[in-house]
Amino acid sequence: MENTNEKNREMTAQESLSLITETLNSSRKEIIQRSSKYYILWGALLTVFSLMVYVLWKLTDKAAWNCLWFALPAIGSPLAHWLSRQDAAERVQNEVSRITQGIWTTLGIFSCAVAAFTLGYFYVSEGAQDFGMSLRAIVSLAGLTAEMVLIFGLAECACGVALKNWTIKIAGFVTGIGGLAIYYITGAEYEQLLIFTFAGLVLMATGLLVKRQYR
Amino acid sequence: MLPKLDPLLHSELRLAVMSILAGVDEADFTYLKEQTGATSGNLSVQIDKLSEAGYIAVEKGFKGKMPRTTCRITSQGVEAFRNYVKSLKKYIGAGRKSSAQ
Repeated sequence: MENTNEKNREMTAQESLSLITETLNSSRKEIIQRSSKYYILWGALLTVFSLMVYVLWKLTDKAAWNCLWFALPAIGSPLAHWLSRQDAAERVQNEVSRITQGIWTTLGIFSCAVAAFTLGYFYVSEGAQDFGMSLRAIVSLAGLTAEMVLIFGLAECACGVALKNWTIKIAGFVTGIGGLAIYYITGAEYEQLLIFTFAGLVLMATGLLVKRQYR
Repeated sequence: MLPKLDPLLHSELRLAVMSILAGVDEADFTYLKEQTGATSGNLSVQIDKLSEAGYIAVEKGFKGKMPRTTCRITSQGVEAFRNYVKSLKKYIGAGRKSSAQ
């Protein structure tokens, strides 16, 4: 049984200050550590989805498989919500956790909005006759893949800044700039989807590294 | 002359609770218990003391069918916590000066 007097004892000034610093640092570490499982989840989903769309598009030559991307938030969001219900620490929020949540939510909204807008624009203004052609034009011509990977890298980097974690900051740079480099190097159409496989793998690796850092 | 340290905060468990609450929006009893490693009875007594002083606000409610006690630091608590840290720094500074002499 715990010694109640020990827990209620008066401390020296140095001990008090150490306790405060330790508690505040441990809150920060906990928030960063907690974020790691979401990096792993979204990284895994991104990898699976990009490979799925890549393979299906390559095999059938139908760009319409890109519509599967809209299922990513539909599957990922409930899974992330379920994960957040799993432990008591998740019930605690602070400024930093709200900022990082806000960054990823904004990224999700931006991605869907940009994809929907570009799709609508090409379909209406370019007079594309079939849906598949519009999608092909978006991915190949509109540079949507490059835009997406850049905002993705930027979001990851911003989270690293908010969490004051270099691993996440560097991963954001690698995803954004590396993804863009792959965009220019790879061919058109389905090959470009491998950028998202790369981004997903980087995200997963980030999650695993962060988890290890703060174990 | 060194300032007097707030006796309410100058206790290990109460200070731990205040430090946790200073870094989050709010925390429930279970979380505080896990983080401090205190017993339910002891933690409950210390939370009551902090609440009576107006340093924290305690809300009792239900989450589903389970009772849930939530605590959050008040503006008065934030002020007291800041003053306490300032005083601590002065004490440590004074201690260093005297040991240097």
